[in-house]
Amino acid sequence: MDDRYQYLLLMAGCLLITLPLEFVLRARVYRRPRRLLLSLLPVLVIFLVWDIVGIVRGHWSYSHTYTTGIHVPFEVPLEEVVFFVVIPICGLLTYEAVGTVLGWWRQWRGHDA
Amino acid sequence: MPEYTALAVLSVLGTVAAEVLWLRTGIFRRAQYWIAMVIIYCFHVLVDGWLTKLSAPIVIYDGSQITGLRVPWDIPVEDYLFGFSMLTLTLMLWVRLGDRSAGRDGSAAREGSARPDRTDRTDRTDRPTTQEAP
Repeated sequence: MDDRYQYLLLMAGCLLITLPLEFVLRARVYRRPRRLLLSLLPVLVIFLVWDIVGIVRGHWSYSHTYTTGIHVPFEVPLEEVVFFVVIPICGLLTYEAVGTVLGWWRQWRGHDA
Repeated sequence: MPEYTALAVLSVLGTVAAEVLWLRTGIFRRAQYWIAMVIIYCFHVLVDGWLTKLSAPIVIYDGSQITGLRVPWDIPVEDYLFGFSMLTLTLMLWVRLGDRSAGRDGSAAREGSARPDRTDRTDRTDRPTTQEAP
Protein backbone atom coordinates (compact mmCIF):
# COMPACT_ATOMS: atom_id res chain seq x y z
CA MET A 1 0.00 0.00 0.00
CA ASP A 2 1.21 3.46 -0.91
CA ASP A 3 2.62 5.07 2.23
CA ARG A 4 1.24 8.50 1.55
CA TYR A 5 -2.30 7.24 2.19
CA GLN A 6 -1.39 5.99 5.66
CA TYR A 7 -2.96 8.89 7.60
CA LEU A 8 -6.12 8.76 5.47
CA LEU A 9 -6.35 4.98 5.82
CA LEU A 10 -6.06 5.30 9.58
CA MET A 11 -9.03 7.70 9.53
CA ALA A 12 -10.98 5.34 7.25
CA GLY A 13 -10.28 2.56 9.75
CA CYS A 14 -11.72 4.69 12.56
CA LEU A 15 -14.95 5.24 10.61
CA LEU A 16 -15.19 1.55 9.72
CA ILE A 17 -14.62 0.30 13.25
CA THR A 18 -17.20 2.67 14.76
CA LEU A 19 -19.83 2.16 12.03
CA PRO A 20 -21.51 -0.83 13.76
CA LEU A 21 -22.27 1.44 16.75
CA GLU A 22 -24.77 3.30 14.56
CA PHE A 23 -26.75 0.14 13.87
CA VAL A 24 -25.95 -2.54 16.45
CA LEU A 25 -25.92 -0.16 19.41
CA ARG A 26 -28.46 2.22 17.84
CA ALA A 27 -26.35 5.35 18.18
CA ARG A 28 -28.43 7.21 15.56
CA VAL A 29 -25.69 9.76 14.91
CA TYR A 30 -25.56 9.55 11.11
CA ARG A 31 -29.36 9.46 11.08
CA ARG A 32 -29.52 12.92 12.68
CA PRO A 33 -27.49 14.74 10.01
CA ARG A 34 -28.51 18.30 10.91
CA ARG A 35 -27.63 17.90 14.57
CA LEU A 36 -24.42 16.11 13.56
CA LEU A 37 -23.37 18.88 11.18
CA LEU A 38 -24.12 21.64 13.69
CA SER A 39 -22.09 19.81 16.37
CA LEU A 40 -19.13 19.21 14.08
CA LEU A 41 -18.83 22.63 12.43
CA PRO A 42 -17.79 24.81 15.41
CA VAL A 43 -15.32 22.13 16.54
CA LEU A 44 -13.87 21.89 13.03
CA VAL A 45 -13.37 25.66 12.86
CA ILE A 46 -11.85 26.00 16.35
CA PHE A 47 -9.45 23.10 15.94
CA LEU A 48 -8.44 24.05 12.41
CA VAL A 49 -7.47 27.46 13.78
CA TRP A 50 -5.48 25.73 16.52
CA ASP A 51 -3.88 23.49 13.90
CA ILE A 52 -2.86 26.53 11.85
CA VAL A 53 -1.39 28.19 14.96
CA GLY A 54 0.52 24.96 15.69
CA ILE A 55 1.87 24.80 12.14
CA VAL A 56 2.76 28.52 11.94
CA ARG A 57 4.38 28.56 15.40
CA GLY A 58 6.23 25.34 14.62
CA HIS A 59 4.65 23.21 17.37
CA TRP A 60 4.21 20.35 14.90
CA SER A 61 4.58 19.37 11.27
CA TYR A 62 3.38 16.50 9.14
CA SER A 63 5.29 13.69 7.49
CA HIS A 64 5.62 14.05 3.74
CA THR A 65 5.94 10.29 3.50
CA TYR A 66 2.64 9.40 5.17
CA THR A 67 0.39 12.20 3.88
CA THR A 68 -0.94 12.84 0.38
CA GLY A 69 0.62 16.30 0.11
CA ILE A 70 -2.80 17.82 -0.59
CA HIS A 71 -3.23 20.98 1.45
CA VAL A 72 -6.12 23.25 2.32
CA PRO A 73 -5.18 26.93 2.85
CA PHE A 74 -2.57 27.83 5.53
CA GLU A 75 -0.53 24.68 4.80
CA VAL A 76 -2.99 22.44 6.63
CA PRO A 77 -2.86 18.90 5.24
CA LEU A 78 -6.17 17.56 3.95
CA GLU A 79 -5.75 14.72 6.44
CA GLU A 80 -6.11 17.14 9.35
CA VAL A 81 -9.49 18.34 8.09
CA VAL A 82 -10.55 14.71 7.80
CA PHE A 83 -9.24 14.07 11.34
CA PHE A 84 -11.33 16.91 12.83
CA VAL A 85 -14.45 15.43 11.25
CA VAL A 86 -13.82 11.71 11.73
CA ILE A 87 -12.65 11.68 15.36
CA PRO A 88 -15.59 13.77 16.69
CA ILE A 89 -17.99 11.46 14.80
CA CYS A 90 -16.33 8.46 16.48
CA GLY A 91 -16.75 10.22 19.83
CA LEU A 92 -20.43 10.91 19.23
CA LEU A 93 -21.06 7.30 18.16
CA THR A 94 -19.33 6.10 21.33
CA TYR A 95 -21.34 8.48 23.53
CA GLU A 96 -24.68 7.47 22.01
CA ALA A 97 -23.78 3.77 22.05
CA VAL A 98 -22.96 4.05 25.77
CA GLY A 99 -26.35 5.75 26.20
CA THR A 100 -28.08 2.82 24.53
CA VAL A 101 -26.28 0.25 26.66
CA LEU A 102 -27.00 2.23 29.85
CA GLY A 103 -30.65 2.34 28.80
CA TRP A 104 -30.73 -1.42 28.35
CA TRP A 105 -28.99 -1.90 31.67
CA ARG A 106 -31.49 0.34 33.49
CA GLN A 107 -34.36 -1.48 31.86
CA TRP A 108 -32.91 -4.85 32.83
CA ARG A 109 -32.34 -3.65 36.39
CA GLY A 110 -35.90 -2.36 36.49
CA HIS A 111 -37.16 -5.79 35.45
CA ASP A 112 -35.06 -7.47 38.10
CA ALA A 113 -36.41 -5.34 40.92
CA MET B 1 5.82 26.54 29.87
CA PRO B 2 6.16 25.22 26.28
CA GLU B 3 3.63 26.78 23.92
CA TYR B 4 1.71 23.63 22.96
CA THR B 5 1.53 22.68 26.63
CA ALA B 6 0.13 26.12 27.49
CA LEU B 7 -2.42 26.04 24.67
CA ALA B 8 -3.51 22.52 25.63
CA VAL B 9 -4.08 23.55 29.26
CA LEU B 10 -5.92 26.68 28.10
CA SER B 11 -8.17 24.60 25.84
CA VAL B 12 -9.28 22.45 28.79
CA LEU B 13 -10.05 25.57 30.84
CA GLY B 14 -11.92 27.04 27.86
CA THR B 15 -13.94 23.85 27.40
CA VAL B 16 -14.94 23.73 31.05
CA ALA B 17 -15.77 27.45 30.95
CA ALA B 18 -17.93 26.92 27.85
CA GLU B 19 -19.91 24.30 29.77
CA VAL B 20 -20.25 26.28 33.00
CA LEU B 21 -20.90 29.72 31.52
CA TRP B 22 -22.66 29.00 28.27
CA LEU B 23 -23.77 25.50 27.20
CA ARG B 24 -24.80 24.13 30.64
CA THR B 25 -25.55 20.65 29.37
CA GLY B 26 -24.83 18.94 32.69
CA ILE B 27 -22.65 16.50 30.77
CA PHE B 28 -20.01 16.33 33.54
CA ARG B 29 -22.64 14.89 35.88
CA ARG B 30 -23.51 12.06 33.52
CA ALA B 31 -22.15 8.53 33.80
CA GLN B 32 -22.77 8.27 30.03
CA TYR B 33 -20.14 10.97 29.39
CA TRP B 34 -17.46 9.57 31.68
CA ILE B 35 -17.89 5.98 30.48
CA ALA B 36 -17.74 7.19 26.86
CA MET B 37 -14.57 9.21 27.58
CA VAL B 38 -12.83 6.15 29.09
CA ILE B 39 -13.64 4.16 25.94
CA ILE B 40 -12.62 7.09 23.71
CA TYR B 41 -9.25 7.39 25.49
CA CYS B 42 -8.57 3.66 24.94
CA PHE B 43 -8.92 4.19 21.20
CA HIS B 44 -7.17 7.56 21.40
CA VAL B 45 -4.04 5.77 22.64
CA LEU B 46 -4.12 3.37 19.68
CA VAL B 47 -4.71 6.02 17.00
CA ASP B 48 -2.48 8.71 18.50
CA GLY B 49 0.16 6.10 19.30
CA TRP B 50 0.28 5.29 15.58
CA LEU B 51 0.32 8.98 14.57
CA THR B 52 3.14 9.97 16.92
CA LYS B 53 5.41 6.90 17.04
CA LEU B 54 8.93 8.23 16.75
CA SER B 55 10.09 5.34 14.56
CA ALA B 56 7.80 6.52 11.72
CA PRO B 57 5.85 9.58 12.83
CA ILE B 58 2.93 11.01 10.87
CA VAL B 59 2.77 14.04 13.17
CA ILE B 60 6.17 15.41 14.15
CA TYR B 61 6.45 17.57 17.27
CA ASP B 62 9.05 20.21 17.99
CA GLY B 63 10.67 19.04 21.21
CA SER B 64 10.94 22.61 22.52
CA GLN B 65 7.16 23.20 22.27
CA ILE B 66 6.12 20.25 24.47
CA THR B 67 7.06 19.04 27.95
CA GLY B 68 8.70 16.01 26.38
CA LEU B 69 6.63 13.69 28.55
CA ARG B 70 5.43 10.92 26.24
CA VAL B 71 3.21 8.12 27.52
CA PRO B 72 2.53 5.40 26.53
CA TRP B 73 4.88 4.86 23.62
CA ASP B 74 5.64 8.28 22.10
CA ILE B 75 2.34 10.12 22.68
CA PRO B 76 2.96 13.65 24.04
CA VAL B 77 0.85 14.10 27.19
CA GLU B 78 -0.46 17.36 25.74
CA ASP B 79 -2.41 15.33 23.19
CA TYR B 80 -4.68 13.99 25.96
CA LEU B 81 -5.71 17.56 26.83
CA PHE B 82 -6.22 18.34 23.14
CA GLY B 83 -8.37 15.21 22.84
CA PHE B 84 -10.37 16.07 25.95
CA SER B 85 -11.21 19.52 24.61
CA MET B 86 -12.08 18.39 21.10
CA LEU B 87 -14.29 15.47 22.14
CA THR B 88 -15.91 17.16 25.13
CA LEU B 89 -16.81 20.23 23.10
CA THR B 90 -18.32 18.04 20.38
CA LEU B 91 -20.37 16.06 22.90
CA MET B 92 -21.52 19.23 24.68
CA LEU B 93 -22.74 20.76 21.42
CA TRP B 94 -24.46 17.50 20.45
CA VAL B 95 -26.25 17.29 23.79
CA ARG B 96 -27.17 20.96 23.71
CA LEU B 97 -28.60 20.69 20.19
CA GLY B 98 -30.64 17.68 21.35
CA ASP B 99 -32.08 19.85 24.10
CA ARG B 100 -33.08 22.50 21.62
CA SER B 101 -34.75 20.30 19.04
CA ALA B 102 -36.57 18.52 21.84
CA GLY B 103 -37.79 21.84 23.17
CA ARG B 104 -38.80 23.31 19.85
CA ASP B 105 -41.16 20.65 18.62
CA GLY B 106 -41.94 19.31 22.06
CA SER B 107 -41.03 15.78 21.14
CA ALA B 108 -38.34 15.02 23.64
CA ALA B 109 -38.93 11.37 22.92
CA ARG B 110 -38.05 11.71 19.25
CA GLU B 111 -34.68 13.39 19.47
CA GLY B 112 -33.72 11.87 22.79
CA SER B 113 -33.70 14.05 25.83
CA ALA B 114 -30.46 15.71 26.73
CA ARG B 115 -31.60 16.95 30.08
CA PRO B 116 -29.19 16.01 32.83
CA ASP B 117 -31.98 14.67 35.03
CA ARG B 118 -33.06 12.01 32.58
CA THR B 119 -30.38 10.11 30.77
CA ASP B 120 -32.14 6.91 29.85
CA ARG B 121 -33.88 6.80 26.53
CA THR B 122 -35.96 3.71 26.88
CA ASP B 123 -39.11 5.75 26.41
CA ARG B 124 -38.29 6.59 22.84
CA THR B 125 -41.04 5.64 20.52
CA ASP B 126 -39.12 5.36 17.29
CA ARG B 127 -37.02 2.40 18.19
CA PRO B 128 -38.14 -1.11 18.98
CA THR B 129 -38.17 -1.83 22.66
CA THR B 130 -36.94 -5.06 24.11
CA GLN B 131 -39.37 -4.71 26.97
CA GLU B 132 -42.42 -6.90 26.56
CA ALA B 133 -45.83 -5.41 27.11
CA PRO B 134 -47.41 -6.70 30.30
